[in-house]
Amino acid sequence: MTDRRLLRSAAALAVLALAATGCSIKADTSSDRVGNDGVRMGPGVTETTITLGALTDLSGVYASLGKSIVNAQQLWVEQTNKVGGICGRKVEIRVKDHGYDVQKGVAAFAEVEPGSAMLTQVIGSPVVAALKQEIDSKKILTLPLGWSSGLLGQNYIQVVGPTYDIDMINAVDFLTRKAGLAAGDRIGHVYFEGEYGENALAGAEYAAKQHGYTVVGQKIKATDTDLGAQVTALKQAGVKAILVSAGPKQSASLVGLAAAQGLTVPVVGSAPAFAPQLLDSAAAPALEKMFYLVSGYPAPSADTSRMRQLVQDYQAKYPGAPVDSGVVSGWVAAQVAAEALSNACTAKDLTREGIVAAHRSQKALNVLDVPLDFTDAAKPSAYGSFILKPAKSATGGLTVAEPAHEVEATRGYPLPRG
Amino acid sequence: MTRLAETLLDALALGSVYALVALGFTVVFKASGVMNFAHGSVLLLGGWVVAATHGAVGFPLAVLLGAAAAAAASGLLHLLTARGLRGAGAHAATILTIGADLALLTALGRAIGADYLATGDPWGSAVVRIGGVHVVEARLAGIAVSVALIGAVFAAFRWTRWGLAMRAASADEEAAALMGVRLGRMRLTAWCTAGALAAVAAVFLAAFPSPGLDRSTGQLALAAFPAAVLGGLDSAAGALVGSLAIGLAGALAAGYQDELGAFGEGLPGIAPYLVMVAVLLVRPSGLLGSKEAVRV
Repeated sequence: MTDRRLLRSAAALAVLALAATGCSIKADTSSDRVGNDGVRMGPGVTETTITLGALTDLSGVYASLGKSIVNAQQLWVEQTNKVGGICGRKVEIRVKDHGYDVQKGVAAFAEVEPGSAMLTQVIGSPVVAALKQEIDSKKILTLPLGWSSGLLGQNYIQVVGPTYDIDMINAVDFLTRKAGLAAGDRIGHVYFEGEYGENALAGAEYAAKQHGYTVVGQKIKATDTDLGAQVTALKQAGVKAILVSAGPKQSASLVGLAAAQGLTVPVVGSAPAFAPQLLDSAAAPALEKMFYLVSGYPAPSADTSRMRQLVQDYQAKYPGAPVDSGVVSGWVAAQVAAEALSNACTAKDLTREGIVAAHRSQKALNVLDVPLDFTDAAKPSAYGSFILKPAKSATGGLTVAEPAHEVEATRGYPLPRG
Repeated sequence: MTRLAETLLDALALGSVYALVALGFTVVFKASGVMNFAHGSVLLLGGWVVAATHGAVGFPLAVLLGAAAAAAASGLLHLLTARGLRGAGAHAATILTIGADLALLTALGRAIGADYLATGDPWGSAVVRIGGVHVVEARLAGIAVSVALIGAVFAAFRWTRWGLAMRAASADEEAAALMGVRLGRMRLTAWCTAGALAAVAAVFLAAFPSPGLDRSTGQLALAAFPAAVLGGLDSAAGALVGSLAIGLAGALAAGYQDELGAFGEGLPGIAPYLVMVAVLLVRPSGLLGSKEAVRV
């Protein structure tokens, strides 16, 4: 008797479950609708609004960077809506803080993704790596704020600008001219363990091989802040130049100690290896003298009309907020999103597939003097890097020492498969 | 030769600052049997007070203020763990310190943000040249101050009533209490001393070549943890020896990792723990820790 009742309720439950899943499948397919203007609309798009998502860090290690990126993108939203939005629709960005925590990042993605047309920023390589498959299955165009070449080759993930390894090839080219390196010379490379540092090292080793240099590697951890032993070892090895792919703290320690020990060789850091706050520390004089930064984007102090306009607008909207590299990278990502969305609108297709197709058709987009080509997902979208130099008086603590130009070696570099 | 001398000096400087932190772990453990996991954030608090006040009152007074604040925080933590968890034992108190660490670290993280705070120390980026060896002045100062402070703590252990009380209590708590040792006051003093030492360590951890005090400075206290364990958690001299051993292992591994081939890569990070495990395999209670009597 009990058995039969159990069976009956189990059957009822199964039917209910089937009905529920049936409903949700129906809801999914109906999310691609056609608006009154004849534009096909995917998730996050209505007759009046285009909603975008951003997974950022406002409370963890990259909180200051995250804040600048969010600010810059909200500035873009404000300016865009002032001139009528995109495709006759208002634009808005839903920002979720994950505090640089992978689990929180995955949860935030699940919350934001269903109502977003695309993601204008995802901070943190580990977070993007954890979301790779989800992003692919949801077909949502995502702009990560991390430049590892492990993220290439994904149709829905777009690294905007050169990757860390390409930056390092350009850095070695710069050092060859700057330090007069010759075949047989040694260059040091202090790098973080993990994707960022090791990706940069791959580029440095490739470039060194091309020129006949030897790379003296020093692997460190994010918690290593005293690089005395590394400096001693590099000095002993007789390096003529040093590359650093670590955090700002490590650069300060490295450059400060190298200067103190009389190892006055040029030091070039990857983009994340500098923060303007370093110029208030005891290592500032040495940094201004010996340090360079290789970056896919120009410095906020760059003397171009568009950059001046951005800095002016930013300072007007956020008085007192520092204008750092986050402002530039956030702005560039917003422009890339704007192009993809307005091209998708022209094609009357604001579904996710439509947005990514419009994005992939961009062959020569120029944002703040960074030429970008998105047609091949397997290749970096830019190959040139700017060489920047710390300067206390400059906006954002950096000036442009050399504009971006392409180095031939970057095209022959075998990109690692992600 | 220069390389070895520079590496050894680095090791000595690093080891002596670690010793200030490790001594704090040891003093607290000896007095109350608690592993204080909040020590790192107490260190950060001390450093933050120095950074916040040095502009107004000058560096020496700021250090005193920082030490006082860290001592007060550490003492307060003791009162919280001892009073709030009366009778719950040292294990519960140890767990509580983890919670306190998180709370304090979050508050300080908000206050510090992404900045590197200067502590206004008088050494700046000055460098001394001895023979062919370059030494950062702040490091020499760090060694001198650590030696002086550790000496003072050792002297206090040996010759003051507090030191005697602590040694008595650590040997046999019940007997000490019966002999009239005021355990509560002795413990409070121990926690406060640990806090003050941590604040001084923070000043040197934030000094050149570090760009200043930032929110992760407290994490460096974790490096002193294997030092305290390897020396023997209840031995102050052990903390000193352990710190020097850890400093040496880390600096030598970093200085020569390129010559160790594939084995050397990443070795500096794990060297302290390797040394700790190796020592504990041979001497389970640490280099100078007291052996526990076990009857079967």
